[in-house]
Amino acid sequence: MINLIEMSNISKSFGGSRAVDGVSLELLPGTVHALMGENGAGKSTLMKILAGVHQPDSGQIFKNGHRISFNSPKKALEFGISTVFQELSLLANLTIAENMFLGREPLTRFGAVDYAGMNAQTADALAQLGLTLDPEALVSELSIAERQFVEIAHGIKADASIFILDEPTAALNAADVDVLNKHIRRLRDEGKAIVYISHRMEEIFEICDTVTVLKDGRRVDTRPVSEMSPASLIAMMVGRTLDDLFPPRATETGSVVVDVKHFKIDARSKPFSLHVSSGEIVALAGLEGQGQQKFLRSLIGKFRPFSGTVTIKGELLEMPVSETSGIRRLHAAGVGFVPEDRKEEGLFLGLSIADNIAISLVSERGEMSIARRYRDVINTTMASMRIKAEDASAPVSSLSGGNQQKVLLGRYLAANIDVLLIEEPTRGVDIGAKSEIYRLLREFAENGGAVLVLSRETIELIGLCDRLYVIHDNTVVAEMPAGNASEHIILEAALSA
Amino acid sequence: MNAALNHPILRRALSIPPSYFVFAMLLFVLWVARPHMLNLNIMGIFIRQIVPLGILVLGQLLVMRVRSIDLSGGGVILLVNYFISSGLFPGASLTFFIAIGLATGTAIGLFNGYMVARRRVSAVIVTLAVSIVLLGFVQFLSSGKPPGDVPAMFGEIYNTRWGPLPTPVLFWFALTGLMMIFLSRTVFGRYVASVGESAEAAHFAGVPVERTVILAHTLAGFIAAIAALVQTASIAVGSVRVGLDLPILAVAATILGGVVFGRGEGGVLGPFFGALSFALLFVVMTVFGIDEPGKLIAQGLIILLAAIFYGLRSGNAN
Repeated sequence: MINLIEMSNISKSFGGSRAVDGVSLELLPGTVHALMGENGAGKSTLMKILAGVHQPDSGQIFKNGHRISFNSPKKALEFGISTVFQELSLLANLTIAENMFLGREPLTRFGAVDYAGMNAQTADALAQLGLTLDPEALVSELSIAERQFVEIAHGIKADASIFILDEPTAALNAADVDVLNKHIRRLRDEGKAIVYISHRMEEIFEICDTVTVLKDGRRVDTRPVSEMSPASLIAMMVGRTLDDLFPPRATETGSVVVDVKHFKIDARSKPFSLHVSSGEIVALAGLEGQGQQKFLRSLIGKFRPFSGTVTIKGELLEMPVSETSGIRRLHAAGVGFVPEDRKEEGLFLGLSIADNIAISLVSERGEMSIARRYRDVINTTMASMRIKAEDASAPVSSLSGGNQQKVLLGRYLAANIDVLLIEEPTRGVDIGAKSEIYRLLREFAENGGAVLVLSRETIELIGLCDRLYVIHDNTVVAEMPAGNASEHIILEAALSA
Repeated sequence: MNAALNHPILRRALSIPPSYFVFAMLLFVLWVARPHMLNLNIMGIFIRQIVPLGILVLGQLLVMRVRSIDLSGGGVILLVNYFISSGLFPGASLTFFIAIGLATGTAIGLFNGYMVARRRVSAVIVTLAVSIVLLGFVQFLSSGKPPGDVPAMFGEIYNTRWGPLPTPVLFWFALTGLMMIFLSRTVFGRYVASVGESAEAAHFAGVPVERTVILAHTLAGFIAAIAALVQTASIAVGSVRVGLDLPILAVAATILGGVVFGRGEGGVLGPFFGALSFALLFVVMTVFGIDEPGKLIAQGLIILLAAIFYGLRSGNAN
């Protein structure tokens, strides 16, 4: 059969890291092609290249044998490539029809926008999906499922032949998933090619024909789904060995420091309990965006959970935590929160290393007191963390990613903190700095600290931590000692829950 | 254009507050045209005229460093001027006037801060609206007529000198020094620097961001009241028009001083020289026989220059 789209030898790097490395992909008409892989395997990047969001560093894209190139989603749509992204891209306060024709509004003879024509064509496209939505309804009034259908209708109206669905079911309930699958089958039967990215096994086996597995930016294999089983698919997705990046695990742990009971992230999620003891590093593992971050951020008031009690060192944490004073109150209780986004939420890039480290000590004191310089603390911190910089007055923006991350961590190690909540301890950090950060966290735990960490890199969590909670669908689905865990076991625990 | 802007020498030049260049340029013009004007006695008189502006700038730089802005200074000056000159408080002492003035400014600043930080209202709109309300309020109280005289004591203090320099100028210098020490030595100064660099990161580092913004506005209101007292002493009469252009001049001086709106950089000295540049500008204009309309045009052009410079800086930084 002749292919509709061929992506040939595509590579793309961000900064120093290769997100996609020489991947080729063929899409055939009348098929649903599943794209699978762990967090950060390169699925989304590859599809954003096909959708025109990113441009490949090298490699070519062919449609019906002709080389095509484009530099925006709008141009990609002109080549018949329609995308429904995870983050929906409709404007909430415009109507369905206005969204569909955004930037390409038809005009009447007098130069005014032809609303009648717009609405009629929109109703047509919606009808093809069997939807009876009013084209003049505001998008803000639609459910998430309906918004996704509108995006698909958008592609139908533009006469797209390739539809990319990036985790379309992540926010849908079971009934909506059925409706969506019905539409996907209809598109397939009309000879369209559909790319389907999802972490839900049963969906892959229900509606996909072919599956391509990516790992670390490379293609592992492309197979017909009929030849695969869930177990063999998971085996293809994992299969890396641990190297000796990691310090030895804890031999003994102390008393429970953080105790979470009957915690419900939202009204529909199952309640869970978890605890962290002094001297241990505990991970929240699982696929990305399953509620790990929501849970951690509800402890600092950035997210409002539905219910639950949290006890820190025997003191009940008042829920919901205040957004404005939550972090200060936790600091006072000896709890530090290390945010994921080093550049936006973590560091003051224009300020010096000294300022960045000392701010946690400074912020414990009242406004009108004299700000001490904390030279000793800063020097010991920089030395013990081996932060490579000319001196403490260098601006943080001049440091490498690894050293920036160490400065951020140093801020909390310098203060009187004995519980660390960490998001992504080593994001965008080279391998050498990674192993140093692991060593520092282990030292912190050995000195009686308690660490709760989440990360997209499952390997990292297995190697670094003592105990893992697997989070899926906003709840804890499994708990295991990290020594027994593998990527395979974690993935299976998450996906079979 | 963009490539040129990234040249290291130009980048370094851009990181020096432009007020230093403007000040040096004006000084040079004056030195060439009227060298004999460059003596402390004469300059002191000219600088004394912009002392209210210079003091107002100290508050402006504080709020602009936490990425806010305060345009209500004009209203504060009017109201304080009215309290003192209207005869509303007959026979009140100097201390009473100072106290009620400072209390008024502080209260207005606190209100601004609360609206900006807690209610998340646009700082430009809040402070401008407050200024308009105060202007209307004063006009209502005085029924459109300018109020009476300022108690003589104000003028007497205003006209004293210490050596060659007028007291108000020294007072301004002292306040500037105080602000420098305050911002470099206190915890609050560290908070201001961190919120100005990144409010998001400051929040995650445990800095009370809201409180810092509220306090910055409150202090700016307090400082505006000091400026109002000096301004009132300088004109010696009540007025319903005094000081209305000062807030925007203060913003311009602060921008020229390297504190860029929306990017909390810069120190205290940059804006200080920004205000001094306005003093020199008036001297130079007077020397060349340019009248009030010409001065207005030049003032406007300087504000425009500051705005263009701001665009250049922030565009370059991204």
